[in-house]
Amino acid sequence: MAIEWDEEKIAGFREKLRQTKALPTLPGIVSKLTQMVEDPSVSADRIGRVIAKDQILAAKLLKLVNSAFYGFPGRISTVSSAVILLGFNVVRSLVLSASIFEAMEKTVVGLWEHSLGCAAIANVIARRLSINDPEEISTAALLHDIGKVVIRENLAEEAAVLDEAILGENISLYEAEQRILKINHTQVGQRLCRHWNLPDRLAEPIAYHHEPKKSANHYVSTAIVHVADVLVRARGFGFGGDKWVPALDHNAWAALTLREDDLPGLIAEAEEVLVELRGFSFEIQNLGEKCPPAIES
Amino acid sequence: MPARHRVLIIGKGDKPGKEQEYLFDAKGYQIISSPTFKKAMDTIFNDPPDLILVMADMQDKVELEMLQAVKGGIYCAHIPFIIALSREAISTGIEWEQYPVDDFISKPIDYTELFARMSLCFERMQRVFDNNPLTRLPGNTSILKTIQAALDAGEEVAIGYVDIDNFKPYNDRYGFSRGDEVIRMVAMLLTNILRETDTRKVFAGHVGGDDFSFMVPSDRATQVCEKIISSFDALVKNLVDKDDLKRNCFVARDRQGNEQHFPLPSLSIAVVSNHNNRFRHYGEVAEAATQIKKHLKSMEGSNYLIDRRKPPE
Repeated sequence: MAIEWDEEKIAGFREKLRQTKALPTLPGIVSKLTQMVEDPSVSADRIGRVIAKDQILAAKLLKLVNSAFYGFPGRISTVSSAVILLGFNVVRSLVLSASIFEAMEKTVVGLWEHSLGCAAIANVIARRLSINDPEEISTAALLHDIGKVVIRENLAEEAAVLDEAILGENISLYEAEQRILKINHTQVGQRLCRHWNLPDRLAEPIAYHHEPKKSANHYVSTAIVHVADVLVRARGFGFGGDKWVPALDHNAWAALTLREDDLPGLIAEAEEVLVELRGFSFEIQNLGEKCPPAIES
Repeated sequence: MPARHRVLIIGKGDKPGKEQEYLFDAKGYQIISSPTFKKAMDTIFNDPPDLILVMADMQDKVELEMLQAVKGGIYCAHIPFIIALSREAISTGIEWEQYPVDDFISKPIDYTELFARMSLCFERMQRVFDNNPLTRLPGNTSILKTIQAALDAGEEVAIGYVDIDNFKPYNDRYGFSRGDEVIRMVAMLLTNILRETDTRKVFAGHVGGDDFSFMVPSDRATQVCEKIISSFDALVKNLVDKDDLKRNCFVARDRQGNEQHFPLPSLSIAVVSNHNNRFRHYGEVAEAATQIKKHLKSMEGSNYLIDRRKPPE
């Protein structure tokens, strides 16, 4: 292994993580939103709906509204609530100040599509189960792999080693992270949630989407995100970082009280949403290509 | 003509001469002078001035204590204090936490600047004392002034009174700091929605407690009310515990100590419209709104009602 992680290096990474402020967003999303915020006839709701399709901007918005300054630490769990509370002007400044990924790497777009697909499927499941706040579960699903983005952004060199290990040793990204970094993306996500005062209703599904049984207070939400993650991987929508489909936790599946013959209906419904997202993804990638490269703010 | 502002000048220092006194007079200020802080005390407590200008460098510890006593009490804390300082005193640094003054001016005094600072002081004190400390929204004085000004101008405005249903039991159940969150939430969504709905004259104020007031052009009233209510109902889910949310109500004790089930917090918005210049003064607006509110309060969940009645013939 090219990179050996000792205590000191891990401590250094954790400090970096604590200070993580600006994560870049896809250029296409940034240009779409920039067009929208400059059009006075566009409502905050519509902007909120586009922000809810980007895990980085959604995380930023939730981080801001849950900071002590705005006075709702650990309370606000949906993008639409954050948009209402922060107001158009704050959301607009946030969008205009968003930095973008220098290049639209395939892996970055893939991970974004994976998160988007997971959010959509989680929403379909939550609605089928008549859960009170399906938007909250989609938000958790949208953010479930935020740890992967943070690792890629902060540890470019190590990320390359992870990719090598996945291909060379035929292991999953999760295993590679564990072995090489001694910390995996779910733990990174959990730490981020804590630093950003995100509510437990989001933090638990993010932290335990690979091991739903560890979720103490929001088991159903965590189970939904877990199942949605497995389904979107099995469907082959987006790219979660490796070619494997994570193992399904049978207790989590049982907790959803879905029967096997519910699956075809569920999949058909999810498929419709995914086709729509495919279109959105093409639009965003086209916008990204048209946008001038590498604007860093 | 409004009553003249009375300005108490303490200290002999560079007391204004005859010429400056005319200037004060022309600006509508009446001067009262006192050579020392000790001698000024009587005036301050018995016949409080509107503003105090301290000319002398305050070397004396007792004087400083007196200043602190005046600004520390409830009754005189609102009187703006301006202190005149020598360049030397400014450059050596002032321990501002010891000097509870509102502004300073450097000696020798430039009177044009002093008058500008004095009027800024009055404005600022008005704002500081009127704004609600929790939400930073303007309070009663500003609400009254804004609405009266619109009525005087004959504008077609709608004036809304918002209050939170079941706020008291929510506060009792979850504690006052979470009660504050609900109030701050209403304040934020009100200001955001009003600002986003119309670029014409809009206003949001905090009457106090769980009561708010707003003003919008009449033709936007329905849109604003619907948006406020749908936003509130979506947001309030974030502020209620999971179990209560599942039950869709919470258990708290009423004023008699009996266990009672309360619905989750919702909003009532009573709106009156100044259609055809129906109102002449603010009191009529408040009275009309109170009647509607009584009706709204008997309804379940979040509701609004816009009163478009014409004035009685």
